Amino acid sequence: MMRTTLRKSIGPLAAVLVAVTAWLGLVVTPPDRDQGDYVRLVYLHPALAWVALYVAFGMSAVCSLLYLWKRTRSLRFDRLASSAVEVGVVYTLLTLLTGSIWGRPTWGVWWTWDARLTSTAVLAVLFLGYLALRRVPAEAHIRARRSAVFALLAAINVPIIHFSVIWWQTLHQGATVLNPNLSPMIHGLMAWTLLLSFVAFTLLFAWMVMVRYEIETRRADEDEVGMAAAIADRQAEGIHS
Amino acid sequence: MWRDALLIARRDLTIELRSKVGTWQILPFGLMALFLFAFALGPQTELLRTAAPGLFWLAVLFSSILAAQRSLNIEGSASTREANRLLGLDPAGVFLGKAVAMALELLVLEVVLLVGVMLLFHVTIASWLFVVPALVLPALGLSAAGVLYGSLAGGASTRSTLLPILVLPVEAPVLIAASKSLSRGLGSVTPDAGRWLVVLAIFAVVYSVLGVALYGPLEES
Amino acid sequence: MSYVLAGYAISLTALAGYACSLIVRRRRLTRDRSETGT
Repeated sequence: MMRTTLRKSIGPLAAVLVAVTAWLGLVVTPPDRDQGDYVRLVYLHPALAWVALYVAFGMSAVCSLLYLWKRTRSLRFDRLASSAVEVGVVYTLLTLLTGSIWGRPTWGVWWTWDARLTSTAVLAVLFLGYLALRRVPAEAHIRARRSAVFALLAAINVPIIHFSVIWWQTLHQGATVLNPNLSPMIHGLMAWTLLLSFVAFTLLFAWMVMVRYEIETRRADEDEVGMAAAIADRQAEGIHS
Repeated sequence: MWRDALLIARRDLTIELRSKVGTWQILPFGLMALFLFAFALGPQTELLRTAAPGLFWLAVLFSSILAAQRSLNIEGSASTREANRLLGLDPAGVFLGKAVAMALELLVLEVVLLVGVMLLFHVTIASWLFVVPALVLPALGLSAAGVLYGSLAGGASTRSTLLPILVLPVEAPVLIAASKSLSRGLGSVTPDAGRWLVVLAIFAVVYSVLGVALYGPLEES
Repeated sequence: MSYVLAGYAISLTALAGYACSLIVRRRRLTRDRSETGT
């Protein structure tokens, strides 16, 4: 009973927290001395990036590992991993969007090849590759194995990609590019709103993954039921023919 | 494992020598890519000379996708699978053999394309010390990654369109590192070129190890 | 400021839209189940 109430309340709670964050971020908090109103994107971009790069990606890697390890092998982990990735794609694309918008006034262009943003873009492609791989028709466990291996390979490679892009960037430009994440002085209400944004978006992610997982589970059950029904029908045909 | 690897490497290379798919299909594609780059960028000497290392590696990278497809297509044929099973081959050995065979084919491709780049984009080799590892290490890395991801990507028809999007993001560091290393080998001032060679070596080792571990379980399907 | 508003608007709309699509998909699957009487 308690658990269902808890589960059911996560969605609305997340929605409320996100709304409060947006209100605080857009209306209540003061503009920054250097960045003016652009600092308000700090209540969106870092939280979205945190969810996309660490929560979603980390969860997909851990669940993939758990699926591949014989002792914990269960299609549940496969479904959790794929749910995390699908929701993660949304967050990754939004991270790129908000990062791009944040960079626009500073550099006058929509894309600056900033190392972190570029690595995030590559991560987005990796996520999409994972989803593309899952669309290849295959038996459930074969698909799960392929997806899990791909996710783990991605996890192992992200450091290589990340450092390569950083070295490619800094050695190319000479000086470190100004990172909008580092410049504003966060204090007081701004700090609390920033913290709230992390909590709100993480909670929203959790709810989305829960619903996506439920969809995946029901779909899998339905396939099974469909199969069983088809077999039963066929057997019934056999008796009457 | 090593004996099986040698066996498979010789088999794949023999198939290539007999069918000459690499010579007649992949190599011309790589060369054509160089011309396309020149067409896209315009014939200004300075621009092409600066862009040469990157363009070279783009051509090799895309050609390596074709080579990986080819390598996996050999495994797909029913007679090959039958033979592998009857001989009781160690899948890790099969992986290594295929990766080595593909690496050798890529190396030949690289040499030909390098000559092409020297002629078409007006570059010369300044430092063999950098050029040789800059050619060998990526060949190993791209082959290991190509064969591994190729086995992930399912059957031939899905693999033909799926493999690029799976493998290119992880090969992006190879493109960066190989371009930097080659540009150092061709004479440009490239800070920390040694660091890039280390990246290439790490990539080759990591993917060889991963391939040895994962190819078997993946092919079981 | 207009860029910031655009950023907030697109992000929150996208998240809301995705959330709605999830809820709709789940509802459709639940309804199917009850219709086929399993």
